[in-house]
Amino acid sequence: MSALELNAFQILLLVALGLLQVGIIMAMVSGWVTRRDGSAWGSLILLAGIATLWPKLTGRVAGALGIGRGADLVFYCAVVVMMIGFWLTYMRLRHLRRELTLLVRHIALLEAQENPTPNDVKRTQGPSRHKVKDD
Amino acid sequence: MVIPAYNEGGALAKVVQEVRAEYPNVVVVDDGSSDDTFEVARRSATYCLRHLINRGQGAAIQTGIDFSLLRGAKYVVTFDADGQHCVEDIAAMLAPIRRGACDITVGSRFLGEVVNMPTARRVTLRLAVLFTRVVNRVALTDAHNGLRAFSRRAAERIHITLDRMAHASEIIDMIRRSGLPFQEVPVKIRYTEYSMSKGQSSRGAVRIAVHYLLGRLMR
Repeated sequence: MSALELNAFQILLLVALGLLQVGIIMAMVSGWVTRRDGSAWGSLILLAGIATLWPKLTGRVAGALGIGRGADLVFYCAVVVMMIGFWLTYMRLRHLRRELTLLVRHIALLEAQENPTPNDVKRTQGPSRHKVKDD
Repeated sequence: MVIPAYNEGGALAKVVQEVRAEYPNVVVVDDGSSDDTFEVARRSATYCLRHLINRGQGAAIQTGIDFSLLRGAKYVVTFDADGQHCVEDIAAMLAPIRRGACDITVGSRFLGEVVNMPTARRVTLRLAVLFTRVVNRVALTDAHNGLRAFSRRAAERIHITLDRMAHASEIIDMIRRSGLPFQEVPVKIRYTEYSMSKGQSSRGAVRIAVHYLLGRLMR
């Protein structure tokens, strides 16, 4: 590796990546992010940092893979990472929606037991036996 | 009788009144309506449940099924709130289940009678039937009819996870997987200006198919 001569853009990018890395580590420590997710994001940020520090390295890797330019390799990788990110976010959202539906259903069943309609001649006895199911 | 309702304040009272005249146990599930659906349901239905926020027709049907099972229902029938279905068809839907010929009956407008169905809707429904045959691998003549009847043991096997309109295809999957015998029953569907305004557009049908396929992919 040649001696590092960084331009302003590289310095800015490295600072941003450094802050992001610190944020990920803090999120892992505080338990906001799982160790698995944190490690994945941390590795990604590390790779981005290496590519920023030694841009020619991406060119060499790209050449070895037959892609051509390092910029193309970075672009392809970014697209793949973004797609994985969208997919994971969608899955998480779907899971939350499912939990929300189960909660709304549970409340509806409890309310119906506690406040029967005037037409409900049997009138409910006792609390709901319904349990919120695990997803 | 499970009737899911979302902003159906205008038609609900009449529908519930007609159903209750023949079948006393009517469960209305208000799916977070912003109009007076809940108040109308409380006055007219035997049982009334309310989703605090809108979760979709599939979620409302499952809530109604869960409630019916908790109350010891022997049979569960799902019935639309927009006045499309005829109360007289319910007896025909329940008859094969009561005599033990099957556990599930699904209404078919194409075996029965359709009143005032627009051509675009007919084409969309025919495509939905084709979709059901190819994707769900179930040969039905009407894939998305809201009039269905279940024995208790069949209702216990229904666990709808697709909250919105894609639940219709999911129910067909569950029917197939359950291995329980099912039948199609000819029913009459009346299209009115009101029911058309509540129904799905062709674009909506594509969205439903995508939701279903995504849901199936991630099951």
